[in-house]
This record gives sequence, C-alpha cells and structure tokens, in this order.
Amino acid sequence: MAAQSNSRRQFIATGLTAAGLSVISNPLFAARPKAADKIRLGIIGTGSRGAGLCTLIKEMPDIALVACCDTIPENLQKGLSLAEKGAKGYSDYRKLLDDKSLDAVIIATPLYLHYPMAVAAIQAGKHIYLEKSMTYDIPQAIDLVKKVNASKLVFQIGYQYRYYGLYHRVKEIIKENWLGKITHFECQYNRNSNWRFPVKDPKMERQINWRMYREYCGGPLSELCAHEIDVVNYLVDSHPLKVVGLGGINYWKDGRDTYDNIRTVYDYPGGVKASVTSVLSNAYNGYSIRILGDKATVEILRDKAYIYTESTNNAKGTVDGVTGATLAVTTQGKGVEVAYGKAGEESLEPTVYALQDFVKCIKDKKQPISNVETGRDGSIAIHMGNAAADTEAVQIWKPEYSV
Amino acid sequence: MRLLHYINPLFAGITILVLSAFCIKNPFESKNTKRFQIEGLAQGTTYSITYYSDSESVKKPRIDSIFSELDQSLSIYNPNSIISQFNESDAGVEIDKHFYNVVRKSLEIHKATDGAFDITVYPLVRAWGFGNERVSIIPDSAEIQSLMPCIGSEKLRLSHSRLEKSLPCVKIDVNGIAQGYSVDVMADFLESNGITDYLVEIGGEIRVKGKKHPENTPMSIGIETPSENAFSSTGIRQVIQVPAGAVTTSGSYRNFRKVGSRRISHIIDPKTGYSASTEIISVTVIAKDAITADGYDNALLLMGLKHSMKLMKKHKNLHAYFIYQKPDGSIADTTTAGFSKFLKP
Repeated sequence: MAAQSNSRRQFIATGLTAAGLSVISNPLFAARPKAADKIRLGIIGTGSRGAGLCTLIKEMPDIALVACCDTIPENLQKGLSLAEKGAKGYSDYRKLLDDKSLDAVIIATPLYLHYPMAVAAIQAGKHIYLEKSMTYDIPQAIDLVKKVNASKLVFQIGYQYRYYGLYHRVKEIIKENWLGKITHFECQYNRNSNWRFPVKDPKMERQINWRMYREYCGGPLSELCAHEIDVVNYLVDSHPLKVVGLGGINYWKDGRDTYDNIRTVYDYPGGVKASVTSVLSNAYNGYSIRILGDKATVEILRDKAYIYTESTNNAKGTVDGVTGATLAVTTQGKGVEVAYGKAGEESLEPTVYALQDFVKCIKDKKQPISNVETGRDGSIAIHMGNAAADTEAVQIWKPEYSV
Repeated sequence: MRLLHYINPLFAGITILVLSAFCIKNPFESKNTKRFQIEGLAQGTTYSITYYSDSESVKKPRIDSIFSELDQSLSIYNPNSIISQFNESDAGVEIDKHFYNVVRKSLEIHKATDGAFDITVYPLVRAWGFGNERVSIIPDSAEIQSLMPCIGSEKLRLSHSRLEKSLPCVKIDVNGIAQGYSVDVMADFLESNGITDYLVEIGGEIRVKGKKHPENTPMSIGIETPSENAFSSTGIRQVIQVPAGAVTTSGSYRNFRKVGSRRISHIIDPKTGYSASTEIISVTVIAKDAITADGYDNALLLMGLKHSMKLMKKHKNLHAYFIYQKPDGSIADTTTAGFSKFLKP
C-alpha cells in the first residue's frame, strides 16, 4: 500500500516536471514576463515591514527581487528566503546601491535612516519606493523634494491607502456630496499592547525597538497615525495649517521616550478640523477614521467603510406618515456598508496596488500619486504634531514648507 | 414595493419614516380619545401603527403574531413558508387564506397591467441578485434566455385551497404586493377592534382612516423626495391627506445594485428579463386598499410614464403621482387628474 502511494506520488511529480518543462519550452505559453522585462529590485531593510513587502512581491510577476540588505542577520536571511533564487545579501546598503543591475530599491528601515538612504539611492540612480513616513524631520522633507525633482527617478512613498479602492470610493462619495459639508475628521490608530518586538540580546534593544525612541522616529504619530494624516491630506486635497496637541508616557513606563498616547487636532483650510489620536492602551476600533458631514458620517475601518445618514426634518412640517420606497431596516441607526471595487473581484492587500503602480510608474516614466510632495506634507504635519505636544504650543505651517 | 431582507451595501441609509404628531393634552377636549402608537420591525423593514381610541384595545404582541402568521405564508426568506414550499415544489402546494388573497389579487393586476406586474418573475429577480441570496455577478443574456420559459402568470392555476404550476421551474415572489396586503390585514384588524381613526404604515406603505385627536384634523402623509444617490437624506416633496384609503410608493432609487457605473434597479421586467429602465424614479398610488395600490405601483414604474397615464385613465379609483427624469436630466413630477384633490391645502 505504502509503496503504491509512493509510486503514485512519484508519477505526479514526474508529470508536473514534464508539464513545467513544456511550458518553458513553448513561448506561446509564456504568460509571465520575460526576465528582461522585469523590474530588478533590491530591498533595504527586511524587518517586519520589509519582509511583509517581500512576501507580496514574491507573487508579483513584474518584479524580480534580487537583492536584500539588513544589518540584522536573521532579518537578512528572512528577506533572502523570500527573494529570487541567487539573490544577493548585504549588510551595508551602500554596497547594494552599487549594484548597477538594480533598477529600483525599496527602503523599509527605521525613520531616521530614510533620508540618508533615499539620498544615496537617488545618487545611485535607482527608482525608489520609500516606506512611510518620509523623513525624520522637516528640513529633510524639504530637501528631499528638491533632490527628487532634480532627478528623473520615480519616487514613491509607501502610503498604500492612496492606491486602495476603498479610499477612492470614499473620495468619490465626498465629491458627490453624499456627506454634505464636511467639518471634521476623527482619526485614531490605537492598540492595546506595548508595541514592542522581543529582544534576545539586550544590546539589540534600540535596533529592534527603534519605535520606542525619539532618536530614531516620531513614535505613534510617525509610525501609526502617518497613514491617517496622509488620508486626510488626500481627501481634502490639502495640508494642515496649524496643529495643537498633547502627548505623554503615562501607561507604558518601560524606558521608552516616544509617546504612548498622543492626541492632536489639525486645522485645515476652511476650518476643517482633524483630530488624530494614538492610544496604546485600548484597541476598540483600533484603526478608524470618521468623516463628519452635515448630511452623513463615513466611518472607515481597515477594509470596510460605513455610512451613517443624519436625520433631517422635512421642510413641510410634521406629517403623520411618510410613503416612500421601502427602507431596509438594517440601514436605520446602523451604518450602510460602502461598496467599492468591482462586484466579484477579489480585493488585494492595499500595498499590492501601491507596488503595482510603482512598477507602472517606472515603465511609463510617471510620478506616483503618493509622491515626494505628498510625502513631504505628511512628514511636516507629523513633525508639527509632535512639536505641538512637546512644546504644548500651537504649531503653524510656514510658507517656506510648501516651496 | 419589495420587502428587503438582506442588506444591499448600496441601500440608502435614510432615516425618517414616521414623524409622529405630538400628543398634546387639550383640557377642553370633551372626549377621552388618546393616541396609541405601536412600532417595530417586520418584513425586513420598520412598521408603525398609530390609532386614536379611548382605550389601548390593540397591543404590540397581537400585531407581531399577525406578522409572523403572514411570514409563514408569504416570506421567501422563510424556507418553511408556503411560498418557499411552492417554489421548491414540482407541481404546487396547499395554500392558506393569505396566500390565496395575495395571489388572486396578483393575477388580477397582472391582467389589468397587460403583464407588467407578474409574480412569476422570481427566477429573474434571483438571477439579478435581488432574491433571498446575494450574487456577485450579473447574469448574461444566455442565462436570462434560459430562465424566460419559467416566467409568466399563465403558468399558474389558483383555487381556494391550492396553487398549481405547469412547470417545476416556475417560482413566485410576492414582495411587490405582500407588504400592501399586510397593511390591509393590520388595518382590518384595527377596524375589527372598533378602531376608526388610524394610520398603518409598513416600510412606506400606508393605509389611513379618520382623523387624529384631539385636534380633530385629517392625518397628513408625506411623499418622500427620492434621493439622488443611495445615501443622501430625503425630505418630503408633497403632503397629501386621504380620508380613507391606501397610499403606497415604489421607487427605483433605494433598492438597486451598482455594477460599474450602471445602476440596476430591483424591478425586473418580466417581458424582457432585464432590469426596468424607464424615466420614472418614484410612483405613489392612492387606492381604496393597500394591496391594490402596492400591486399597481411596481407595474407603473415598469411601464413608463406614457403607458402608466393611459392605464390610469381606465381606473378611476386609482390615482398616481410620478416623479420622473426628463430627457435633459432634470427631475419633474406629474399626477393623474384625480390626484390633486388629495394634496394638502
């Protein structure tokens, strides 16, 4: 019996190999792009986010991930295991950038490294997909705009929600005035955890848990709320004019120096306010953006959005009954789910859409929707928010930020 | 008017259904008439029953038990209902009095509307994704053609105790009329309890009689303004007063699927197999009872303005109000000759 099933397995394996060979030898069946048409990509930073990107790229036929770089050996091994066979591994990103065969790089490193690495990648002539948020501080953001604009390279910031059908639909709904006059956004990115990764060797603490330290990043605002700030910028087609904020380390008193709670209010043109909050001790509706209009509210969650209509009194005064098309009971008091995408079409991870567009921008020589300028606006807003909380003083958007 | 038992993500989220008149105690009112209101959920929507009486002679549990009786007979969302049994059967089933009343009226309106109203449309309704199950794709012409032989009320034979079908694939959907019938059942129940001043409303279908007290004024019914998109709040476009009778509305504005930029209405034309696409956005019908009004409103929506007006001329006891889209895209309204006398002065 065992022998039988064994031989059967062998037969299947042989059959598969034969089928595989015939596909390769017959150009009519070459559905996947030829190696020469693929974007040759290197990735700098293969930690949790970087490895996540590698996993998605593995399924993308237009990209060949042929180089990985990380200073932590386990991370590098993880990245290489997800890359093409024979991909090169580096611990020094400058060596990776020296590889002339690479068309593009992804930078998925701690925030403080974004600027020097992006500048080096521009100098090396690589197209760049830089993880959010864009830069550690405001001067770097402004300078990077100049450097990117002087180059002819595609420069995309990893704000994947700009590529996600859900947000496109929300923007459309706003344009069609379904929400009426929008006065407020309420954004939160909460979790109930210390937001740490395990550290085997205490010497590695700051390298692994860089999110805990201001030396490396802006804390929850730059690492979590960045998406929401970018979403508000995207939906209102603008950037904030000023911000107030309060923050503190009041719950996770574990040696960190980034906030474990921060609440900011951004002021946008027309008096539109956006509250942006991150609390690391409560996870109810962890990620959510509520858009308050005078006709309706939209609540955006991870991969869904709901619309809640405001009740309005009729102009003709009180009546005893109303006749109209039947209203589904489930639409009253509860949200109605916002449909997006095509019916029956599988929804992909938002980052896949962002990476697909990165490839397209390289091939079509176009600048991405999430580009160095939108990235700059996000980074400046983040920095202003943290500064507002640090100084407990209003931070004003300066005219020179937008030049 | 359809019963909505599942959420189409694009349904309008519009709220106001009933704005009750305030109950103001008038010390000079000689009678001891009070206002009673029963509200709840049934048939996938909300209902509201308001009556004026000296005592609370009708209470919610009784109303809800009548709803459950109706459900057992007429709900396609209840797999054990008579209608579900009929749809699953090869030749037909035993029926109850509710089922008989609804099918009899349906066949009558089918005839009167030259087939525009047809309860055998259910296989098509399902294929288009408005049945008891969601579908993610839209049917192609081959699928529609394959279903057409199952469509047609002439394939039904009704007697007091049975409904027969000539083909196993014949399936019916009374959602376009059952809500109106339910309104009538509730109104008749109130009347059998000696109540003469009431307003019964289920999912926007209304039957009304008498006046409200202590004001001793007629009850006002608002006709909803169709929303231009699925979510925006609507207001009241017209206010009417009907001394005794029914008012129902059918609209393509609330229950539809969106496929790309196309809106697919829930009202399927039994003759073509495709979603209705006439200029009418909403039609409100006044009739002596709600089953009649409800049966006609769907048919009128499907027939278009010109044919509807022609048909209404033949039915002096029916009055209709249309909100429609002009060829230039603007929204206009019109009524049959007899409708205007109901408009609130």
